[in-house]
Amino acid sequence: MEKNDLLRLKNIVGKKNVKTDPADLYVYGSDSSVHSARSWAVVRPENTGQVQEIMAFANKEKIPVVTRGAGSGMCGQTVPVRGGITLDMKRMNKILEINPSDVFCRVQPGVVDDDLNHALKPFGVFYPPTPASSRIATIGGEIGNNASGVRSVKYGATRDSVLGMKVVLPDGSLVTLGARTRVEATGYQLHKLIVGSEGTLGVVVEATLSFVPIPKFRCLGMANFDRLEDAGAAIADIMASGVVPSMLELVDSVAIKAVNKTMDLGLPEVEAVLLYEADAMVKEAVDHEISAMQEVCKNHGGTGLTSSFDPKERARIFLGRKKLFPALSKFSDILSSTSLADDMAVPYSKMAETARTIHEIAERNNIIMTAYGHCGSGCMHTKILMEPTRQDQWESARKAVAEIYDYVRSVKGTTSAEHGIGISKASAFKAEKSDSLDLMRNIKKAFDPNNILNPGKLMDAHEDWVTATDLRYTVA
Amino acid sequence: METRPFETKHLDKWRSNLDSCIRCGYCYEHCPVFKDTRWESNAPRAKMIMVYGLLAGKLEPSTYISDKLSSCFYCGRCNAACSSGVPLTDIITDAKRDFQGTGFETPGTTTGTNTDCALCLACARACPHEARDFINGKIVTDTVKCQSCGICVDICPNQAVATNLSYGTDRSSLNREISTFLEQETAKAIVFGCNWSYYPDLQSSVMDPAEELEYKILINMCGGRLEKPLLLEPLLQNAWGVLVACCPDGDCEHDGNLKAKIHVAGLRELLKEMDIEEDRIQLVQVAHGDKTGFQAAIDTFMENLNKLGPLNHR
Repeated sequence: MEKNDLLRLKNIVGKKNVKTDPADLYVYGSDSSVHSARSWAVVRPENTGQVQEIMAFANKEKIPVVTRGAGSGMCGQTVPVRGGITLDMKRMNKILEINPSDVFCRVQPGVVDDDLNHALKPFGVFYPPTPASSRIATIGGEIGNNASGVRSVKYGATRDSVLGMKVVLPDGSLVTLGARTRVEATGYQLHKLIVGSEGTLGVVVEATLSFVPIPKFRCLGMANFDRLEDAGAAIADIMASGVVPSMLELVDSVAIKAVNKTMDLGLPEVEAVLLYEADAMVKEAVDHEISAMQEVCKNHGGTGLTSSFDPKERARIFLGRKKLFPALSKFSDILSSTSLADDMAVPYSKMAETARTIHEIAERNNIIMTAYGHCGSGCMHTKILMEPTRQDQWESARKAVAEIYDYVRSVKGTTSAEHGIGISKASAFKAEKSDSLDLMRNIKKAFDPNNILNPGKLMDAHEDWVTATDLRYTVA
Repeated sequence: METRPFETKHLDKWRSNLDSCIRCGYCYEHCPVFKDTRWESNAPRAKMIMVYGLLAGKLEPSTYISDKLSSCFYCGRCNAACSSGVPLTDIITDAKRDFQGTGFETPGTTTGTNTDCALCLACARACPHEARDFINGKIVTDTVKCQSCGICVDICPNQAVATNLSYGTDRSSLNREISTFLEQETAKAIVFGCNWSYYPDLQSSVMDPAEELEYKILINMCGGRLEKPLLLEPLLQNAWGVLVACCPDGDCEHDGNLKAKIHVAGLRELLKEMDIEEDRIQLVQVAHGDKTGFQAAIDTFMENLNKLGPLNHR
């Protein structure tokens, strides 16, 4: 980047809000994925006007711009593969309005999910999409990849809670999309298109979000299964029974072993555990849902059935699932937990088969993989545990990832349920959406004719995720 | 500054730990250095990424990196929050060792001594990390050993010791924050939250308009290190009350909580003598990680304060 370009950026946001030191660029060049690349400058705008000026300037000079929230993405969405400007949105962190009577709030993109929920709590409401990373994840980032979480089975993903937004387009113009109403049938719902577009269409500078009442009663249950297939059948039956769980989670045997090995929680070493939760404003409604789910579990051979309304007991029951993420990270001194093929979704009836297939593929390729996730939403999470410094392990991972996505497509599943595409899932995404890629490219062109917004992602990402960027690990 | 080729003598052993860091960023929300600046480069994760870059030869050592790695208050909350069990503060200390060995010594959040020093050596005797020594007629801080706890700052009778980079935790920054907040119409109270305890409320976001907030939590290095004038300052600027948080009995390695108790008790006595409700200043002891308990204590304090109403200076 030319000195004059930096001067222009400093004039817009102030000198102290532009960083170009190699250390800053290296830090901002990675996220929670396996990828690494460096931008030319990190720029922190404070308001919409500054974002407009930055975009107009970048568009004129054809400088790539990659918008970044907390940098907690798992697929490389904010890794700047073609350099340019990293637009750090964390200074735009204001909760602008909480409107309980019209049931919406307005926030800037840098607001942290947990902070928003903290502010909403006194009104007796919450913003439900909440991913596991809600302690740091920003609303802008969650919009970028249509984030969701454990309770999305009942309350939906980010897209379901976004009513509208203000977006700065690449030429610097500001558009207002959506509305402040529950429903809208006024032309193209462009705000819904922006959700999940991974920063390729515009820069979200304000979002209008809906919220829901905090339920007064919540009950969590658990069932153990000696056979994975039985747990899978129970999931499908629960979801087909008319019950609406507020959470339905599967934990497989590899995950149970990982938790027991690293945390010594003494979980039963069965093939699968199901965690099911119901919530409502009246206890009877929760009782009804929980007993219906318990009945289904029992019918499919579920044992050790337990449930509780007590928050402490619920926390104890959920502990194994909660500790799974750190347990996998601490599984072994030489193995690293990598986010690859980590969040596919499959039809409910294929849940058990998917978990079984993942285990077979992992074994065949000499890596360790676990299968767990928000099965009520059809989402299956995995982690690949591997030695990241060994080239042959990356070859194995590449093969395993390809085989998994071949399988997912064969059962009419989808590449990503909640973490997005970024770089690491681009080839699977392109294979899945092959007949609509040209349409997506045309949409991208209509928004961003100079292709400056997060270029080299989604349909334009490198075919081979292993060589698409530097890996953040040192491979021998 | 004379530098030598960078040797990763102490850092080498951490290579596999750094590979196991999944870069989830869960250390962010706990780090006072990150919260003050909200630059990712100041977050604990960034420190690990920089060390990784140095070990992998992807970053050249520099004063800039040395300064980043020396900016840590060793509260250890990142260690506790780490998904992968990476001992972040141990790695930071070894990074400081290797930078020092190469000639890149930078002060960061460590403490320095100015010319007002009377050479009483109270700071050297009080330092729990043996980081301060009397060398060649002056007090010198070992920046590797110094863990930025600030005890020396607190104990110096001449106020000759200061943290080089305070990230909003020094007296003047706190005073500035008090004044700015209390200018707002709905501002009622200041809550002093100890860096070593967890604290609730909005962490990285702000309400807009901010004047809707009734209280503001200001982070300091230790409840025991808030002198009486600083604790009184909000009341002098028309605040309705002050809440001071510190660690529970037995949890503080330098009796900071005991000092906080003494300070608050003294001020309550003073208010009583002035015929002002003593409950306008209160102390709460918060266990590490007890966000809910702290929030409940704040809510109760604010409820009482709203009953008392505004402070009419008499």
